[in-house]
Amino acid sequence: MGILEKVADNRETKAWYGDIPVQHLYTAGVAGERFLSEIRDNGKILGTLCEKCNFVYVPPMIYCERCFARLTEWVPVSHKGVVESFTVGYIDMDGKPLPEPRVMAVINLDGATSSLVHFLEEIEPDDITFGMEVEAVFRPKGERKGSILDISHFRPVG
Amino acid sequence: MGYRKVAVVGAGMTKFVRRSLETGKELSFEASHMALESCQLTLDQIQSVVFGSAPDAFDGVHMKGEYISDGAGAFRKPYMRSYVGGGTGVFTPIQGWWHVASGMFDTCLVVCEEKMSPCQPHPQGAFLTIFDHTTERPLGPNLLWIFALEMNRYMHRHGITEQDIAQVAVKNKKNALDHPCAQIGREVSIDDVMNSEVLAWPVKRLDISPVSDGACAIVLASEEVAKRITDKPVWFEGVGWNLETAYWTNRDLYYPKQVEYAARMAYEMAGIREPRKEINIVEPYDPFDYKELHHLEGLLLCDKGKAPELTRSGVTARNGDMPVCPSGGLLGVGNPIAAAGLMKICELFWQLRGEAGKRQVPGSPRRGLAQAWGDLMQVGTVVVLGR
Ligand SMILES: [Zn+2]
Repeated sequence: MGILEKVADNRETKAWYGDIPVQHLYTAGVAGERFLSEIRDNGKILGTLCEKCNFVYVPPMIYCERCFARLTEWVPVSHKGVVESFTVGYIDMDGKPLPEPRVMAVINLDGATSSLVHFLEEIEPDDITFGMEVEAVFRPKGERKGSILDISHFRPVG
Repeated sequence: MGYRKVAVVGAGMTKFVRRSLETGKELSFEASHMALESCQLTLDQIQSVVFGSAPDAFDGVHMKGEYISDGAGAFRKPYMRSYVGGGTGVFTPIQGWWHVASGMFDTCLVVCEEKMSPCQPHPQGAFLTIFDHTTERPLGPNLLWIFALEMNRYMHRHGITEQDIAQVAVKNKKNALDHPCAQIGREVSIDDVMNSEVLAWPVKRLDISPVSDGACAIVLASEEVAKRITDKPVWFEGVGWNLETAYWTNRDLYYPKQVEYAARMAYEMAGIREPRKEINIVEPYDPFDYKELHHLEGLLLCDKGKAPELTRSGVTARNGDMPVCPSGGLLGVGNPIAAAGLMKICELFWQLRGEAGKRQVPGSPRRGLAQAWGDLMQVGTVVVLGR
């Protein structure tokens, strides 16, 4: 029975499951490797500077997307920054309720031109304001894995 | 015909490797940056960008074209991604060509990237789903099956032996020894090919190209702009592309008709009547050694079933009358799918300008042809370049 005969009951359409059987191995890239190693080993957040465009990329890039210069100047940026936007998530990927609501924020670190997206915790969602100062909370050194989650979250300063 | 003349004025490529630390963005940047430097242009002089890459499932990044765009120099520019499977690397420059030939743009950066190493356990997992999910996938097909069935049909039809075909792997892997970006240039013998592991008879390990990461880029310019940039422009003389049936079982596998149609389209545009005399250097698509032979026949560069003789007699050697894959091809330089096709265009650019170094073919070739093949084994893409 095809679509022209109007299928009234979709259970009458025979179907089966299949998948695209692949997994992926990702590399951090030249810029990503240095960025994550510095966070893991030294608790430092690095960006790259394009002097011509006066732009500090965090996360760093090995090139400037604006002028296409190769970027070689690595600059540490602050652990502190300001909230540019945020949302409170109540459901997971499958649409099921999260055990606790989770705040994601766009954070502009002091010294960076671009912004970073990360979790914002240790604050009630109702108390979050635009432009509020927040800081990175790093996992203990022994627990860091060279991942963006080595920064466990951001929290209000003070 | 109302087209503007279009030239290739710069080219660049990364090394082809088994696994790069560089992300797809970074690979694309390296190739693009080198191409721009080669013609001393800056990104603000590029008016449009065209990007080619095969399935997102290889990199494991959906919307790969959009993700990589800034690495391909597309920030705030008119940008398009094209994708015709394995044919992409020779189709993307055609797309760049019409950006400029149409009069829309005076310059276009053409970038092709592939990062196949992420795909685990093997890109075959992604290839599995190109087969018909009702009639073919239940059989658990491997892409090698198609190649093996096609190779065997080709051999049977013309009485060609596995040894005849192995000559191509020997030639191309050796040519790649002279390519600074090559992944697997090496000296192998016909016996080495014959004795390598059988994957899907008659296809053996050394009959095929490797899994690779890499990127290539070229810069295109209109006639007026090209003449200001370089005194050695390499012109697009003809382009062609053609699609066969999506059902590979609905055609005779011994001959790639779609490649012939694509070639005829390009020859007509280039005013080529006798391709065997007028094409000096050929870079046909060689993911498998028999494919080079198959494609030479489809390109009308020899009679059906006669390509092995050209190889045996040295006509297709780098110093032969019609050098074929002087780069080392996919069999030797490597096969980051879309980038591998554009590598062939880069090779023609360097060869026609006399800049191919140790790979330079003798006799100052005037005209070259690059070809790729892919989609559901059904597309042929052809570019003829000349100086
Ligand atoms: Zn810049």
